[in-house]
Amino acid sequence: MVLSELSVELVRRRLPCGGWPVLLSSAQPALEPTCYSLLALGTQATDVRERAVVFLLRAQNPNGSWPVFAGDDHDGSWLTSLVAVALSDHVSAIPARLKGLHWLLSSAGRESNWIWKWKFRTTDRHVRFDPDKFGWPWFPNTVSWVVPTAFAILALNQLHCFCGGFELAPSRLERGVEMLIDRACPGGGWNAGNGVVYGTAVRPHPDDTAIALLALHDRPQHPIVQVALNYLEFTAPTLAAPWSLAWAILALAAHRRPITLLRRALLDVTDLSYVEDTSTLALVCLALDHEQALVNLGVMP
Amino acid sequence: MSITRRHFIIGSTALGAGTSICAPFFVPKYHFDRRRRRSRVAVLHAQLYSQQLDQILREGLQLFPLDVRGKTVLLKPNLVDYLPGNAINTHPTLVMAAVEAFRRLGAKSVVVAEGPGLQRDTQLVLSQSGYQESLRDEEVRFVDLNRDELIRTPLRTSYSEMKELWLPRTVLAADFLVSMPKIKTHHWSGVTLSMKNMFGIVPGLRYGWPKNILHWKGIQQSILDLCATVPIHFVIADGIIAMEGNGPLSGTPRPLGRIVLADDPVAADATCARLMGFDPDRVTHIRVGARFLGNGAPGHIDQVGHPARLPTTPFRVVKEFENLYAL
Repeated sequence: MVLSELSVELVRRRLPCGGWPVLLSSAQPALEPTCYSLLALGTQATDVRERAVVFLLRAQNPNGSWPVFAGDDHDGSWLTSLVAVALSDHVSAIPARLKGLHWLLSSAGRESNWIWKWKFRTTDRHVRFDPDKFGWPWFPNTVSWVVPTAFAILALNQLHCFCGGFELAPSRLERGVEMLIDRACPGGGWNAGNGVVYGTAVRPHPDDTAIALLALHDRPQHPIVQVALNYLEFTAPTLAAPWSLAWAILALAAHRRPITLLRRALLDVTDLSYVEDTSTLALVCLALDHEQALVNLGVMP
Repeated sequence: MSITRRHFIIGSTALGAGTSICAPFFVPKYHFDRRRRRSRVAVLHAQLYSQQLDQILREGLQLFPLDVRGKTVLLKPNLVDYLPGNAINTHPTLVMAAVEAFRRLGAKSVVVAEGPGLQRDTQLVLSQSGYQESLRDEEVRFVDLNRDELIRTPLRTSYSEMKELWLPRTVLAADFLVSMPKIKTHHWSGVTLSMKNMFGIVPGLRYGWPKNILHWKGIQQSILDLCATVPIHFVIADGIIAMEGNGPLSGTPRPLGRIVLADDPVAADATCARLMGFDPDRVTHIRVGARFLGNGAPGHIDQVGHPARLPTTPFRVVKEFENLYAL
């Protein structure tokens, strides 16, 4: 199935409100599939994209963050980063996006607080990590994890200047990068959050590794990045699941590693239009058009 | 001795403060009692994951007066992540045997549903752990609970002090929920059995991978709130190859050769804990669950099939849970 057919399928799955549901069987508009779809449609289907932008703007919480789906609570979530990335090319969304990024700067993993830092240094040491190196949580009041931290780095890196209330952004970005480096798996790559638990090295996940590598695209020579790239390059050809394969293609392309065979493997996945998860379908579209996707993600100029 | 007004005020204030601090520890956090007069547990022998499981499970289910005719049955296996050679997940052969058995019992539909706790790519876990092929061959619908449509659901107890959770529509709409855990030790909760298995219904999309909020609110407390809110109707626990040591991911496979069936999750978990060599009363969620979610005491459990004897060598656990061992 070619990219244009997948894009048509993507547009077909759109809900009347302008957003997309996660699963084909659902009528609940959600932010993650909407963001990936908006990014995947690139310059196509202008009216569809405009309606998606309106949906995202309407979904914003009063505090500037974005929820997981329309109708969710107003506390905010990691999707604030992804929405900020998805809206980066839309002039009408600039004020909302900046408000979202301000919220993002105020959000931090719970280990950033001195009490929890102390706890993780003294009484709770089963998970090996340095609590001074913190990033972003999935949701407020929990600790930092790899994927939300990587997306926050991608989002904040798209700021054109660190002024107007964003003076803290460089230090938060640096801490976020340090956190990713600190929490890499000993054998290379990243798991959900930590590399060693109860003295045992955990196994990396291809998608978490790929997303972290996208966030670290400007540090290609760092040894941790090199080991992770080797892991991903070795693992990607064995992946039969389109979500992980698509992320692997994007990350390897961002680090200029060969992806031709992987793209072919992705196209060979049995009838992609039947993939029930719309986020996965949109991500496949992004991977098949990786050059544009990396520009949209702010990874390539 | 005379009491001055000043002493009276100080005393009253101290009494009031003490009561408000201590009361929450004594007031029950549940307002219902789901315990049946007697619960039934069957311990079945099975040494291998083979086609014979169909027959073993079918015969085992006949020991229970189950009526699932016309009902939507949801099988909730424990599917966390994949590590080659590790006994992390409920084996797909057992899940498929359960699908077949409930179809034969006249279920309107049987769906397998799970929201893996660590791995965001559910399809990758399904394919690596052997589920995908089995589901396709048997034409079984699988629902990724991490990404299902969500409904705001008030919690029926207040152990975790979360008032509500967003839970998957598929779970809430099911008529008959079967928890199918892998019998394992767990480095945060001691054991992971049918009740802990319910963490998988909490959607990652809303709460992250892992579902970190449940850890912060208390694992034992969250287990109780989840099981109080979403009743488990039946348990099929996979102990053919169980896991000991640093579970739920990095433990060691432990051949136990047992499948545990039960019409009560507390009775199931208490029995599984005994099979592991643990005292169920030392597992907080089993002990507290036995006050209102089901029966934990052997005197209220009809044991059918094989006896649930303590093993010669108990399951290894991480140091923090060595207090679980039965004396």
